[in-house]
Amino acid sequence: MGISLNLFAIIGSIILLLVILELIRRRYLQERYSLVWIITGALFLLLSIRVDILYRISNFLGFSIPSNALFFFGLLFLVLIVLGLSVITSRLSVKNKILAQEVVLLKKRVTDLEKGLRGPA
Amino acid sequence: MKILVIIPVFNEEETLRGVILGIRSFLSEADILVVNDGSTDSTARIAREEGVLVLEHPYNMGIGATMQTGFIYALRNGYDIAVQVDGDGQHHPESLPFLVKPVLEGHCNLVVGSRYLSDGGFKSTLPRKLGIKFFSSLIWIFTGTRATDPTSGFRAIDRKTLELFSEEYPSDYPEVEALISVYNKGLHFQEIPVTMRDRQGGASSIGILSALYYMVKVTLSISIGSFRRVK
Repeated sequence: MGISLNLFAIIGSIILLLVILELIRRRYLQERYSLVWIITGALFLLLSIRVDILYRISNFLGFSIPSNALFFFGLLFLVLIVLGLSVITSRLSVKNKILAQEVVLLKKRVTDLEKGLRGPA
Repeated sequence: MKILVIIPVFNEEETLRGVILGIRSFLSEADILVVNDGSTDSTARIAREEGVLVLEHPYNMGIGATMQTGFIYALRNGYDIAVQVDGDGQHHPESLPFLVKPVLEGHCNLVVGSRYLSDGGFKSTLPRKLGIKFFSSLIWIFTGTRATDPTSGFRAIDRKTLELFSEEYPSDYPEVEALISVYNKGLHFQEIPVTMRDRQGGASSIGILSALYYMVKVTLSISIGSFRRVK
């Protein structure tokens, strides 16, 4: 890997980390969901500073070129993230349904009680 | 015995009034609850004008969630029996007493009104027949029971089933799964013959793609569900 490409990767990783931290600071990203992204950013940074780690892993696992290893793990990581997000979405939609149903029933109760207070019709 | 007839509605302004009148004349002892699943037309206004109980979802949540809201209401307000009647006028209110009877007498926990048990003359299209056949086979495989019209939404359930459905009821396309969960809970369902009209207004909620989704979703849900431990 050429020195400029290397520098580009380092700067990119730092920007990613900064964006993540800024999102947390503005509370756009909850801490519990941010951890995985901080680790990702840190890993990117590590790999761009010490490219030899990627080369060694790739050699060890028998990839023909290191970039293949990078793509493979990147893709795997993304699939896992998306799967995790689907789980979170499913859980949220169940909770959301229960919440809406409770609101509907409470609203009915409140109107009934209000009618009762005003005296029987 | 307190009976609650639940009508799940989504944009049924053309037919709702007729449905309510029909229920009043054939099952006069029952209370009527309209659960409005985010209609954008005058459905809600009609329901209130008719003086029935009305629950309103803040947004469209699907037929399953809509029925479940009604079930929870029935359970919390001490009803012994809940009946589901579609708001589109498909279900003949004349059948209501026969639908309720087996549950009322404690013969079973859930009654399904079937279009296909008698030669009531319900004209069905080939894809629909195939779909029904498919679901009947599923029911047979998983419960060993014959069901001729497992997607029918014309149903009556008792309090035990109310408790079950209040806890868990599929959000979309719930009918087939509900029968199997009833069976898994050790409860019993049976069918009675009813006649159904073609829909009086509005559009059918099922197109080709959604029919396919219906089949795949239910199959998946039932198959995986059978590996769940029963609570």
